[in-house]
Amino acid sequence: MVVRAAKVIVNNPKKVADLVDLANLSGPLREFMGQSQISRLGCFVRIWSYIKEKGLQDPSNKNIVNCDDKLKGMLLGKPQLELAELPMLIKMHFPKTPNRCL
Amino acid sequence: MGKIPLSVRSTKLPVPLLKLPPASTTVQVSETEPLRALGSVPRHFRGAHDSRSSPSSFKRKKTASAVPPLLMAPQSVFQSRRLSDAKRDFDSLLLSSRRSSVSSPVRLDCNSLLQAFCNAGATSEDAIAFLHHMSLRAPSFSPDRSSYHIVLVHSCLQPCPGDISGALRALGLMVENNLPPTPATADLAVRSLCSARREDDACEFIRVLSLRHSAPPDAFTYNFFVRQLCKTRSLSTVYDFISGLHSAVGVKPDLVTYTILIDAVCRGKNLREATRLLGVLADSGFKPDCYLYNTIMKGYCTLDRGNEVIAVYNKMREEGVEPDLVTYNTLVYGLSKSGRMDQALKFLNIMTERGQFPNTVTYTALMNGMFRKGRALDALKLLEEMNARGCTPNECTYNTLLMGLCRAKVLDKGMELYGLMTASGMKLESGAYSALVRALCRENKVSEAYSVFDYALESKSLPDVAAYLPLESSLKLLKKIKA
Repeated sequence: MVVRAAKVIVNNPKKVADLVDLANLSGPLREFMGQSQISRLGCFVRIWSYIKEKGLQDPSNKNIVNCDDKLKGMLLGKPQLELAELPMLIKMHFPKTPNRCL
Repeated sequence: MGKIPLSVRSTKLPVPLLKLPPASTTVQVSETEPLRALGSVPRHFRGAHDSRSSPSSFKRKKTASAVPPLLMAPQSVFQSRRLSDAKRDFDSLLLSSRRSSVSSPVRLDCNSLLQAFCNAGATSEDAIAFLHHMSLRAPSFSPDRSSYHIVLVHSCLQPCPGDISGALRALGLMVENNLPPTPATADLAVRSLCSARREDDACEFIRVLSLRHSAPPDAFTYNFFVRQLCKTRSLSTVYDFISGLHSAVGVKPDLVTYTILIDAVCRGKNLREATRLLGVLADSGFKPDCYLYNTIMKGYCTLDRGNEVIAVYNKMREEGVEPDLVTYNTLVYGLSKSGRMDQALKFLNIMTERGQFPNTVTYTALMNGMFRKGRALDALKLLEEMNARGCTPNECTYNTLLMGLCRAKVLDKGMELYGLMTASGMKLESGAYSALVRALCRENKVSEAYSVFDYALESKSLPDVAAYLPLESSLKLLKKIKA
Protein backbone atom coordinates (compact mmCIF):
# COMPACT_ATOMS: atom_id res chain seq x y z
CA MET A 1 0.00 0.00 0.00
CA VAL A 2 2.74 2.42 0.90
CA VAL A 3 4.53 1.53 -2.30
CA ARG A 4 1.44 2.40 -4.23
CA ALA A 5 0.98 5.65 -2.31
CA ALA A 6 4.53 6.74 -3.04
CA LYS A 7 4.02 5.99 -6.70
CA VAL A 8 0.89 8.09 -6.75
CA ILE A 9 2.79 11.04 -5.35
CA VAL A 10 5.51 10.71 -7.93
CA ASN A 11 2.94 10.30 -10.66
CA ASN A 12 1.12 13.44 -9.67
CA PRO A 13 2.40 15.71 -12.40
CA LYS A 14 1.36 18.96 -10.81
CA LYS A 15 3.24 18.26 -7.60
CA VAL A 16 6.31 17.16 -9.48
CA ALA A 17 6.14 20.19 -11.74
CA ASP A 18 5.90 22.39 -8.67
CA LEU A 19 9.13 20.90 -7.45
CA VAL A 20 11.25 20.81 -10.55
CA ASP A 21 10.14 23.81 -12.61
CA LEU A 22 12.61 26.63 -12.62
CA ALA A 23 11.39 29.78 -10.93
CA ASN A 24 12.79 33.29 -10.80
CA LEU A 25 14.43 33.95 -7.47
CA SER A 26 13.97 36.84 -5.10
CA GLY A 27 16.88 39.15 -4.24
CA PRO A 28 18.42 37.54 -1.14
CA LEU A 29 18.00 34.04 -2.54
CA ARG A 30 19.60 35.07 -5.80
CA GLU A 31 22.63 36.32 -3.94
CA PHE A 32 22.95 33.06 -2.03
CA MET A 33 22.58 30.81 -5.03
CA GLY A 34 24.59 32.89 -7.41
CA GLN A 35 22.05 32.27 -10.12
CA SER A 36 18.73 33.83 -10.99
CA GLN A 37 16.62 30.70 -11.47
CA ILE A 38 16.36 27.41 -9.62
CA SER A 39 13.75 24.78 -8.87
CA ARG A 40 12.34 24.39 -5.38
CA LEU A 41 13.96 20.97 -5.08
CA GLY A 42 17.31 22.31 -6.21
CA CYS A 43 17.04 25.14 -3.72
CA PHE A 44 16.32 22.73 -0.87
CA VAL A 45 19.23 20.49 -1.75
CA ARG A 46 21.56 23.49 -2.00
CA ILE A 47 20.59 24.96 1.35
CA TRP A 48 20.72 21.58 3.10
CA SER A 49 24.17 20.86 1.75
CA TYR A 50 25.23 24.40 2.79
CA ILE A 51 24.09 23.64 6.34
CA LYS A 52 26.02 20.37 6.38
CA GLU A 53 29.09 21.94 4.84
CA LYS A 54 29.32 24.71 7.40
CA GLY A 55 28.32 22.44 10.28
CA LEU A 56 25.47 24.71 11.33
CA GLN A 57 23.47 22.04 13.11
CA ASP A 58 23.36 22.56 16.86
CA PRO A 59 25.73 20.03 18.44
CA SER A 60 23.42 19.33 21.37
CA ASN A 61 20.26 19.00 19.31
CA LYS A 62 20.82 18.07 15.73
CA ASN A 63 17.27 19.02 14.80
CA ILE A 64 18.05 22.69 15.25
CA VAL A 65 20.11 24.82 12.92
CA ASN A 66 22.01 27.87 14.13
CA CYS A 67 21.71 30.29 11.25
CA ASP A 68 24.70 32.22 10.05
CA ASP A 69 24.27 35.66 8.47
CA LYS A 70 23.74 34.32 5.02
CA LEU A 71 20.96 31.99 6.11
CA LYS A 72 19.36 34.63 8.28
CA GLY A 73 19.05 36.96 5.36
CA MET A 74 17.17 34.34 3.47
CA LEU A 75 15.02 32.54 6.01
CA LEU A 76 12.99 35.01 8.08
CA GLY A 77 16.03 36.36 9.95
CA LYS A 78 15.55 34.10 12.96
CA PRO A 79 18.73 33.12 14.82
CA GLN A 80 17.67 29.49 14.98
CA LEU A 81 15.38 27.33 12.91
CA GLU A 82 14.15 23.81 13.17
CA LEU A 83 15.23 21.41 10.51
CA ALA A 84 11.63 20.27 10.23
CA GLU A 85 10.56 23.74 9.10
CA LEU A 86 13.08 23.99 6.31
CA PRO A 87 10.84 22.79 3.46
CA MET A 88 8.07 25.18 4.52
CA LEU A 89 10.45 28.12 4.77
CA ILE A 90 11.82 27.43 1.35
CA LYS A 91 8.34 27.06 -0.03
CA MET A 92 7.64 30.66 0.92
CA HIS A 93 10.17 31.78 -1.64
CA PHE A 94 8.27 29.90 -4.30
CA PRO A 95 4.75 31.36 -4.47
CA LYS A 96 2.11 29.28 -6.13
CA THR A 97 1.29 31.21 -9.30
CA PRO A 98 4.25 33.43 -9.94
CA ASN A 99 6.08 34.34 -13.07
CA ARG A 100 7.08 30.75 -13.81
CA CYS A 101 9.23 30.36 -16.79
CA LEU A 102 9.81 27.13 -18.64
CA MET B 1 6.71 -15.18 -8.99
CA GLY B 2 5.71 -16.56 -12.34
CA LYS B 3 8.58 -16.82 -14.69
CA ILE B 4 8.63 -16.89 -18.40
CA PRO B 5 10.37 -19.81 -20.05
CA LEU B 6 13.99 -19.32 -20.77
CA SER B 7 13.57 -19.50 -24.49
CA VAL B 8 11.26 -16.53 -24.44
CA ARG B 9 13.39 -14.14 -22.52
CA SER B 10 15.49 -11.81 -24.56
CA THR B 11 18.68 -13.57 -23.91
CA LYS B 12 21.62 -11.83 -22.41
CA LEU B 13 24.82 -13.50 -23.40
CA PRO B 14 27.38 -14.16 -20.71
CA VAL B 15 29.87 -11.37 -20.65
CA PRO B 16 32.91 -13.33 -21.80
CA LEU B 17 31.19 -13.86 -25.12
CA LEU B 18 31.27 -10.18 -25.81
CA LYS B 19 35.00 -9.82 -25.50
CA LEU B 20 36.68 -8.90 -28.70
CA PRO B 21 39.05 -11.53 -29.95
CA PRO B 22 42.71 -10.66 -29.69
CA ALA B 23 43.67 -8.45 -32.58
CA SER B 24 45.49 -9.81 -35.58
CA THR B 25 45.56 -13.49 -34.76
CA THR B 26 44.08 -16.64 -36.06
CA VAL B 27 41.01 -17.96 -34.37
CA GLN B 28 42.42 -19.98 -31.52
CA VAL B 29 40.19 -22.82 -30.55
CA SER B 30 41.77 -24.08 -27.40
CA GLU B 31 40.08 -26.13 -24.77
CA THR B 32 40.63 -23.58 -22.08
CA GLU B 33 39.01 -20.73 -23.93
CA PRO B 34 35.97 -22.11 -25.66
CA LEU B 35 33.90 -19.02 -24.95
CA ARG B 36 36.29 -16.60 -26.41
CA ALA B 37 36.77 -18.71 -29.48
CA LEU B 38 33.03 -18.83 -30.00
CA GLY B 39 32.85 -15.10 -29.51
CA SER B 40 35.29 -14.44 -32.27
CA VAL B 41 33.48 -16.47 -34.86
CA PRO B 42 30.25 -14.73 -35.77
CA ARG B 43 31.72 -11.45 -36.74
CA HIS B 44 28.54 -9.66 -37.69
CA PHE B 45 27.30 -9.87 -34.16
CA ARG B 46 29.79 -7.39 -32.90
CA GLY B 47 28.92 -3.81 -32.13
CA ALA B 48 25.72 -2.54 -30.70
CA HIS B 49 23.85 -5.62 -31.58
CA ASP B 50 25.49 -8.60 -29.99
CA SER B 51 23.97 -8.54 -26.54
CA ARG B 52 20.52 -9.17 -27.87
CA SER B 53 20.89 -12.13 -30.14
CA SER B 54 19.35 -15.41 -29.20
CA PRO B 55 21.58 -18.41 -28.67
CA SER B 56 19.79 -20.23 -31.43
CA SER B 57 20.78 -17.75 -34.09
CA PHE B 58 24.26 -17.92 -32.72
CA LYS B 59 24.55 -21.60 -33.39
CA ARG B 60 23.05 -21.18 -36.76
CA LYS B 61 25.81 -18.95 -37.93
CA LYS B 62 28.82 -20.62 -36.43
CA THR B 63 30.24 -21.12 -39.86
CA ALA B 64 32.81 -18.53 -40.82
CA SER B 65 36.13 -20.17 -40.17
CA ALA B 66 39.17 -18.24 -41.18
CA VAL B 67 41.82 -20.23 -42.95
CA PRO B 68 44.32 -17.47 -43.77
CA PRO B 69 44.91 -15.13 -40.87
CA LEU B 70 42.68 -12.11 -40.90
CA LEU B 71 43.98 -8.65 -40.31
CA MET B 72 41.66 -7.40 -37.65
CA ALA B 73 40.91 -3.76 -37.99
CA PRO B 74 40.76 -1.76 -34.80
CA GLN B 75 37.26 -0.54 -34.06
CA SER B 76 38.28 3.09 -34.36
CA VAL B 77 39.83 2.74 -37.78
CA PHE B 78 37.48 5.27 -39.31
CA GLN B 79 37.59 8.72 -37.80
CA SER B 80 34.92 10.28 -39.98
CA ARG B 81 31.57 9.16 -41.25
CA ARG B 82 32.23 10.40 -44.76
CA LEU B 83 32.29 7.89 -47.57
CA SER B 84 35.26 9.46 -49.38
CA ASP B 85 37.44 9.32 -46.25
CA ALA B 86 36.50 5.72 -45.64
CA LYS B 87 37.34 4.74 -49.20
CA ARG B 88 40.73 6.43 -48.94
CA ASP B 89 41.50 4.73 -45.63
CA PHE B 90 40.50 1.38 -47.07
CA ASP B 91 42.74 1.79 -50.09
CA SER B 92 45.75 2.58 -47.95
CA LEU B 93 45.01 -0.38 -45.67
CA LEU B 94 44.74 -2.61 -48.69
CA LEU B 95 48.05 -1.38 -50.00
CA SER B 96 49.86 -1.97 -46.73
CA SER B 97 48.38 -5.44 -46.38
CA ARG B 98 49.60 -6.34 -49.88
CA ARG B 99 53.08 -5.17 -49.00
CA SER B 100 53.25 -7.21 -45.86
CA SER B 101 51.78 -10.25 -47.54
CA VAL B 102 55.15 -11.26 -48.94
CA SER B 103 56.42 -12.33 -45.54
CA SER B 104 53.15 -13.37 -43.94
CA PRO B 105 49.96 -13.61 -45.90
CA VAL B 106 47.39 -11.29 -44.39
CA ARG B 107 43.87 -10.83 -45.59
CA LEU B 108 41.82 -7.80 -44.72
CA ASP B 109 38.70 -8.57 -42.73
CA CYS B 110 36.32 -6.58 -44.85
CA ASN B 111 33.26 -7.36 -42.77
CA SER B 112 34.72 -5.92 -39.62
CA LEU B 113 35.86 -2.90 -41.63
CA LEU B 114 32.29 -2.50 -42.80
CA GLN B 115 31.05 -2.80 -39.24
CA ALA B 116 33.57 -0.20 -38.11
CA PHE B 117 32.41 2.18 -40.83
CA CYS B 118 28.79 1.65 -39.74
CA ASN B 119 29.75 2.28 -36.12
CA ALA B 120 31.39 5.53 -37.14
CA GLY B 121 27.91 6.76 -37.98
CA ALA B 122 27.69 6.27 -41.72
CA THR B 123 24.34 6.50 -43.45
CA SER B 124 22.94 3.26 -44.83
CA GLU B 125 23.47 4.44 -48.42
CA ASP B 126 27.13 5.07 -47.67
CA ALA B 127 27.47 1.65 -46.04
CA ILE B 128 26.17 -0.03 -49.19
CA ALA B 129 28.43 2.08 -51.39
CA PHE B 130 31.42 1.23 -49.19
CA LEU B 131 30.62 -2.47 -49.41
CA HIS B 132 30.49 -2.15 -53.18
CA HIS B 133 33.79 -0.30 -53.22
CA MET B 134 35.47 -3.00 -51.11
CA SER B 135 34.21 -5.80 -53.31
CA LEU B 136 35.62 -4.03 -56.38
CA ARG B 137 39.04 -3.24 -54.91
CA ALA B 138 39.80 -6.38 -52.94
CA PRO B 139 39.59 -9.33 -55.29
CA SER B 140 39.68 -11.89 -52.51
CA PHE B 141 36.58 -10.42 -50.93
CA SER B 142 33.12 -11.17 -52.12
CA PRO B 143 30.26 -10.01 -49.94
CA ASP B 144 28.67 -12.89 -48.09
CA ARG B 145 25.51 -13.11 -46.07
CA SER B 146 27.12 -11.56 -43.00
CA SER B 147 28.19 -8.49 -44.99
CA TYR B 148 24.60 -7.87 -45.98
CA HIS B 149 23.46 -8.59 -42.45
CA ILE B 150 25.75 -5.84 -41.20
CA VAL B 151 24.22 -3.37 -43.63
CA LEU B 152 20.73 -4.59 -42.80
CA VAL B 153 21.20 -4.32 -39.05
CA HIS B 154 22.76 -0.90 -39.47
CA SER B 155 19.84 0.45 -41.43
CA CYS B 156 17.39 -1.12 -38.98
CA LEU B 157 19.08 0.63 -36.09
CA GLN B 158 18.60 4.06 -37.67
CA PRO B 159 16.01 6.10 -35.82
CA CYS B 160 13.69 6.78 -38.72
CA PRO B 161 10.30 5.26 -37.91
CA GLY B 162 8.03 4.51 -40.83
CA ASP B 163 10.82 4.17 -43.36
CA ILE B 164 12.13 0.67 -44.01
CA SER B 165 13.47 1.43 -47.49
CA GLY B 166 17.07 1.05 -46.26
CA ALA B 167 16.39 -2.39 -44.83
CA LEU B 168 14.54 -3.41 -47.97
CA ARG B 169 17.44 -2.25 -50.12
CA ALA B 170 19.87 -4.38 -48.15
CA LEU B 171 17.48 -7.30 -48.48
CA GLY B 172 17.18 -6.70 -52.23
CA LEU B 173 20.96 -6.71 -52.63
CA MET B 174 21.14 -10.00 -50.76
CA VAL B 175 18.61 -11.62 -53.05
CA GLU B 176 20.29 -10.23 -56.17
CA ASN B 177 23.53 -11.93 -55.13
CA ASN B 178 21.82 -15.29 -54.77
CA LEU B 179 21.75 -15.21 -51.00
CA PRO B 180 18.13 -15.78 -50.06
CA PRO B 181 17.25 -14.52 -46.57
CA THR B 182 17.33 -17.09 -43.80
CA PRO B 183 15.50 -17.09 -40.48
CA ALA B 184 18.63 -15.46 -39.08
CA THR B 185 18.04 -12.48 -41.37
CA ALA B 186 14.56 -12.03 -39.95
CA ASP B 187 15.86 -12.42 -36.42
CA LEU B 188 18.60 -9.81 -36.80
CA ALA B 189 16.33 -7.31 -38.50
CA VAL B 190 13.48 -7.70 -36.03
CA ARG B 191 15.70 -7.42 -32.99
CA SER B 192 17.47 -4.34 -34.30
CA LEU B 193 14.20 -2.70 -35.32
CA CYS B 194 12.78 -3.39 -31.87
CA SER B 195 15.82 -1.98 -30.12
CA ALA B 196 15.34 1.20 -32.17
CA ARG B 197 11.69 1.18 -31.00
CA ARG B 198 10.37 0.64 -34.50
CA GLU B 199 7.89 -2.16 -33.81
CA ASP B 200 5.52 -1.12 -36.58
CA ASP B 201 8.36 -1.26 -39.09
CA ALA B 202 9.35 -4.68 -37.80
CA CYS B 203 5.76 -5.80 -38.39
CA GLU B 204 5.96 -4.55 -41.97
CA PHE B 205 9.38 -6.10 -42.51
CA ILE B 206 8.21 -9.51 -41.31
CA ARG B 207 5.26 -9.28 -43.67
CA VAL B 208 7.56 -8.51 -46.62
CA LEU B 209 9.94 -11.31 -45.69
CA SER B 210 7.16 -13.86 -45.34
CA LEU B 211 5.17 -12.92 -48.41
CA ARG B 212 7.79 -11.96 -50.98
CA HIS B 213 10.78 -13.99 -49.86
CA SER B 214 9.01 -16.88 -48.14
CA ALA B 215 11.33 -16.60 -45.16
CA PRO B 216 8.93 -16.38 -42.23
CA PRO B 217 10.38 -15.84 -38.78
CA ASP B 218 11.20 -18.91 -36.71
CA ALA B 219 9.65 -19.59 -33.33
CA PHE B 220 12.31 -17.65 -31.42
CA THR B 221 11.98 -14.51 -33.48
CA TYR B 222 8.21 -14.80 -33.56
CA ASN B 223 7.87 -15.12 -29.80
CA PHE B 224 10.41 -12.41 -29.14
CA PHE B 225 8.47 -10.08 -31.35
CA VAL B 226 5.10 -10.97 -29.85
CA ARG B 227 6.52 -10.24 -26.42
CA GLN B 228 7.88 -6.91 -27.61
CA LEU B 229 4.54 -6.01 -29.17
CA CYS B 230 2.71 -6.93 -25.98
CA LYS B 231 4.94 -4.56 -24.07
CA THR B 232 4.64 -1.60 -26.39
CA ARG B 233 1.40 -1.86 -28.33
CA SER B 234 -2.26 -2.50 -27.69
CA LEU B 235 -3.62 -6.01 -27.54
CA SER B 236 -5.53 -5.59 -30.78
CA THR B 237 -2.29 -4.81 -32.63
CA VAL B 238 -0.82 -8.04 -31.31
CA TYR B 239 -3.84 -10.04 -32.40
CA ASP B 240 -3.78 -8.38 -35.83
CA PHE B 241 -0.16 -9.37 -36.23
CA ILE B 242 -0.75 -12.96 -35.15
CA SER B 243 -3.81 -13.50 -37.32
CA GLY B 244 -2.19 -11.69 -40.27
CA LEU B 245 0.85 -13.94 -40.17
CA HIS B 246 -1.31 -16.99 -39.68
CA SER B 247 -3.48 -16.34 -42.71
CA ALA B 248 -0.56 -15.24 -44.90
CA VAL B 249 2.02 -17.96 -44.30
CA GLY B 250 0.46 -20.25 -41.73
CA VAL B 251 2.72 -19.40 -38.81
CA LYS B 252 0.76 -20.43 -35.77
CA PRO B 253 1.21 -19.31 -32.20
CA ASP B 254 2.68 -22.05 -30.02
CA LEU B 255 2.48 -22.73 -26.31
CA VAL B 256 5.17 -20.18 -25.56
CA THR B 257 3.27 -17.52 -27.49
CA TYR B 258 0.15 -18.25 -25.49
CA THR B 259 2.12 -18.03 -22.27
CA ILE B 260 3.39 -14.61 -23.33
CA LEU B 261 -0.10 -13.47 -24.24
CA ILE B 262 -1.65 -14.68 -21.01
CA ASP B 263 1.10 -13.01 -19.04
CA ALA B 264 0.51 -9.77 -20.90
CA VAL B 265 -3.27 -9.73 -20.38
CA CYS B 266 -2.83 -10.59 -16.70
CA ARG B 267 -0.50 -7.66 -16.33
CA GLY B 268 -3.27 -5.53 -17.78
CA LYS B 269 -5.64 -7.08 -15.21
CA ASN B 270 -7.87 -8.39 -17.97
CA LEU B 271 -9.21 -11.59 -16.45
CA ARG B 272 -11.90 -12.23 -19.04
CA GLU B 273 -9.40 -12.17 -21.89
CA ALA B 274 -7.08 -14.50 -19.98
CA THR B 275 -9.88 -17.00 -19.51
CA ARG B 276 -10.76 -16.78 -23.19
CA LEU B 277 -7.13 -17.40 -24.13
CA LEU B 278 -7.07 -20.49 -21.93
CA GLY B 279 -10.10 -21.78 -23.86
CA VAL B 280 -8.41 -21.05 -27.20
CA LEU B 281 -5.32 -22.82 -25.97
CA ALA B 282 -7.27 -25.95 -25.10
CA ASP B 283 -9.08 -25.84 -28.45
CA SER B 284 -5.83 -25.73 -30.40
CA GLY B 285 -4.72 -28.86 -28.62
CA PHE B 286 -2.00 -27.55 -26.36
CA LYS B 287 -1.47 -29.02 -22.94
CA PRO B 288 -0.44 -26.40 -20.40
CA ASP B 289 3.03 -26.91 -18.99
CA CYS B 290 4.60 -25.79 -15.76
CA TYR B 291 5.51 -22.36 -17.11
CA LEU B 292 1.97 -21.68 -18.19
CA TYR B 293 0.57 -22.70 -14.83
CA ASN B 294 3.10 -20.43 -13.15
CA THR B 295 1.99 -17.58 -15.36
CA ILE B 296 -1.65 -18.21 -14.48
CA MET B 297 -0.81 -18.26 -10.79
CA LYS B 298 1.10 -15.04 -11.12
CA GLY B 299 -1.87 -13.58 -12.96
CA TYR B 300 -4.14 -14.35 -10.03
CA CYS B 301 -1.63 -12.73 -7.69
CA THR B 302 -1.54 -9.50 -9.71
CA LEU B 303 -5.32 -9.49 -9.80
CA ASP B 304 -5.35 -9.60 -5.99
CA ARG B 305 -6.95 -13.01 -5.99
CA GLY B 306 -4.26 -14.88 -4.16
CA ASN B 307 -6.85 -17.35 -2.90
CA GLU B 308 -7.18 -18.92 -6.32
CA VAL B 309 -3.58 -20.14 -6.46
CA ILE B 310 -4.49 -23.26 -4.49
CA ALA B 311 -7.03 -24.22 -7.14
CA VAL B 312 -4.41 -23.81 -9.86
CA TYR B 313 -1.98 -25.87 -7.84
CA ASN B 314 -4.52 -28.68 -7.42
CA LYS B 315 -5.30 -28.60 -11.14
CA MET B 316 -1.60 -28.91 -11.87
CA ARG B 317 -1.32 -31.95 -9.68
CA GLU B 318 -4.39 -33.50 -11.32
CA GLU B 319 -2.88 -33.03 -14.77
CA GLY B 320 0.34 -34.57 -13.61
CA VAL B 321 2.50 -31.48 -14.12
CA GLU B 322 5.34 -31.40 -11.65
CA PRO B 323 5.49 -28.02 -9.84
CA ASP B 324 8.89 -26.34 -9.75
CA LEU B 325 10.46 -23.85 -7.39
CA VAL B 326 8.81 -20.92 -9.15
CA THR B 327 5.42 -22.54 -8.68
CA TYR B 328 5.93 -22.90 -4.97
CA ASN B 329 7.28 -19.39 -4.63
CA THR B 330 4.28 -17.99 -6.46
CA LEU B 331 2.01 -20.12 -4.32
CA VAL B 332 3.58 -18.86 -1.11
CA TYR B 333 3.48 -15.31 -2.41
CA GLY B 334 -0.19 -15.52 -3.35
CA LEU B 335 -1.20 -17.06 -0.05
CA SER B 336 0.84 -14.55 1.94
CA LYS B 337 -0.65 -11.70 -0.03
CA SER B 338 -4.18 -12.84 0.72
CA GLY B 339 -3.31 -13.26 4.38
CA ARG B 340 -3.46 -17.06 4.65
CA MET B 341 -0.21 -17.42 6.50
CA ASP B 342 -0.92 -20.83 8.00
CA GLN B 343 -1.34 -22.33 4.59
CA ALA B 344 1.71 -20.52 3.25
CA LEU B 345 3.79 -21.97 6.07
CA LYS B 346 2.33 -25.40 5.36
CA PHE B 347 3.50 -25.18 1.78
CA LEU B 348 6.96 -24.30 3.01
CA ASN B 349 7.09 -27.82 4.47
CA ILE B 350 5.40 -29.43 1.49
CA MET B 351 7.89 -27.99 -0.94
CA THR B 352 10.81 -29.22 1.13
CA GLU B 353 9.29 -32.70 1.20
CA ARG B 354 8.97 -32.66 -2.56
CA GLY B 355 12.58 -31.73 -3.05
CA GLN B 356 12.32 -28.01 -3.74
CA PHE B 357 14.20 -25.96 -1.20
CA PRO B 358 12.81 -22.60 -0.22
CA ASN B 359 15.09 -19.78 -1.30
CA THR B 360 15.41 -16.09 -0.61
CA VAL B 361 12.35 -15.29 -2.70
CA THR B 362 10.19 -17.72 -0.72
CA TYR B 363 11.23 -16.27 2.59
CA THR B 364 10.82 -12.70 1.41
CA ALA B 365 7.27 -13.45 0.29
CA LEU B 366 6.55 -15.04 3.66
CA MET B 367 7.95 -12.07 5.57
CA ASN B 368 5.83 -9.77 3.49
CA GLY B 369 2.76 -11.77 4.51
CA MET B 370 3.77 -11.70 8.16
CA PHE B 371 3.99 -7.93 8.13
CA ARG B 372 0.64 -7.67 6.43
CA LYS B 373 -0.80 -9.60 9.33
CA GLY B 374 1.06 -7.40 11.80
CA ARG B 375 3.32 -10.23 13.00
CA ALA B 376 6.59 -8.32 12.88
CA LEU B 377 8.37 -10.52 15.39
CA ASP B 378 7.46 -13.67 13.45
CA ALA B 379 9.02 -12.09 10.41
CA LEU B 380 12.26 -11.56 12.31
CA LYS B 381 12.11 -15.19 13.37
CA LEU B 382 11.85 -16.11 9.72
CA LEU B 383 15.01 -14.12 9.05
CA GLU B 384 16.84 -16.23 11.62
CA GLU B 385 15.44 -19.44 10.18
CA MET B 386 16.46 -18.31 6.75
CA ASN B 387 20.02 -17.63 7.84
CA ALA B 388 20.13 -20.98 9.61
CA ARG B 389 19.14 -22.73 6.41
CA GLY B 390 21.87 -21.02 4.47
CA CYS B 391 19.80 -18.56 2.44
CA THR B 392 21.38 -15.16 2.25
CA PRO B 393 18.86 -12.32 2.41
CA ASN B 394 19.11 -9.93 -0.52
CA GLU B 395 18.29 -6.29 -1.09
CA CYS B 396 14.62 -7.08 -1.57
CA THR B 397 14.47 -9.01 1.71
CA TYR B 398 16.05 -6.16 3.61
CA ASN B 399 13.71 -3.63 2.05
CA THR B 400 10.69 -5.76 2.94
CA LEU B 401 11.93 -6.10 6.50
CA LEU B 402 12.72 -2.42 6.82
CA MET B 403 9.33 -1.36 5.55
CA GLY B 404 7.53 -3.85 7.75
CA LEU B 405 9.46 -2.95 10.88
CA CYS B 406 8.98 0.77 10.39
CA ARG B 407 5.29 0.38 9.81
CA ALA B 408 4.96 -1.89 12.81
CA LYS B 409 6.66 0.89 14.82
CA VAL B 410 9.64 -1.24 15.82
CA LEU B 411 11.94 1.60 14.88
CA ASP B 412 15.02 0.52 16.85
CA LYS B 413 15.17 -2.80 14.98
CA GLY B 414 14.50 -0.90 11.79
CA MET B 415 17.41 1.46 12.38
CA GLU B 416 19.65 -1.51 13.13
CA LEU B 417 18.67 -3.01 9.82
CA TYR B 418 19.13 0.32 8.06
CA GLY B 419 22.65 0.44 9.45
CA LEU B 420 23.36 -2.98 7.98
CA MET B 421 21.98 -1.86 4.64
CA THR B 422 24.02 1.32 4.45
CA ALA B 423 27.14 -0.56 5.48
CA SER B 424 26.81 -2.90 2.53
CA GLY B 425 25.70 -0.11 0.18
CA MET B 426 22.24 -1.49 -0.57
CA LYS B 427 19.65 0.60 -2.29
CA LEU B 428 16.41 1.64 -0.67
CA GLU B 429 13.11 0.99 -2.37
CA SER B 430 10.56 3.74 -2.34
CA GLY B 431 8.16 1.91 0.00
CA ALA B 432 10.82 1.15 2.57
CA TYR B 433 12.25 4.64 2.25
CA SER B 434 9.02 6.48 2.88
CA ALA B 435 8.10 4.17 5.75
CA LEU B 436 11.46 4.81 7.38
CA VAL B 437 11.33 8.57 6.91
CA ARG B 438 7.80 8.72 8.26
CA ALA B 439 8.69 6.61 11.28
CA LEU B 440 11.72 8.80 12.03
CA CYS B 441 9.73 12.00 11.75
CA ARG B 442 7.03 10.61 13.98
CA GLU B 443 9.66 10.12 16.67
CA ASN B 444 10.96 13.64 16.09
CA LYS B 445 14.28 12.35 14.77
CA VAL B 446 14.39 14.92 12.01
CA SER B 447 18.12 15.00 11.45
CA GLU B 448 18.16 11.20 11.05
CA ALA B 449 15.41 11.53 8.49
CA TYR B 450 17.55 14.07 6.65
CA SER B 451 20.50 11.71 6.65
CA VAL B 452 18.30 8.93 5.24
CA PHE B 453 17.33 11.40 2.53
CA ASP B 454 21.01 12.03 1.86
CA TYR B 455 21.71 8.30 1.69
CA ALA B 456 18.86 7.75 -0.75
CA LEU B 457 20.30 10.39 -3.07
CA GLU B 458 23.88 9.29 -2.58
CA SER B 459 23.19 5.62 -3.29
CA LYS B 460 21.03 6.64 -6.25
CA SER B 461 18.15 4.57 -4.85
CA LEU B 462 15.52 7.06 -5.82
CA PRO B 463 15.22 10.06 -8.09
CA ASP B 464 15.41 13.41 -6.27
CA VAL B 465 11.70 14.09 -6.46
CA ALA B 466 10.72 10.65 -5.17
CA ALA B 467 13.10 11.11 -2.24
CA TYR B 468 12.02 14.66 -1.40
CA LEU B 469 8.25 14.28 -1.46
CA PRO B 470 8.00 11.69 1.35
CA LEU B 471 10.35 13.80 3.48
CA GLU B 472 8.29 16.91 2.96
CA SER B 473 4.97 15.23 3.67
CA SER B 474 6.35 13.49 6.77
CA LEU B 475 7.61 16.80 8.13
CA LYS B 476 4.20 18.30 7.50
CA LEU B 477 2.72 15.41 9.46
CA LEU B 478 5.12 16.09 12.33
CA LYS B 479 4.00 19.70 12.45
CA LYS B 480 0.40 18.56 12.72
CA ILE B 481 1.23 16.16 15.55
CA LYS B 482 3.04 18.93 17.45
CA ALA B 483 0.31 21.48 16.97
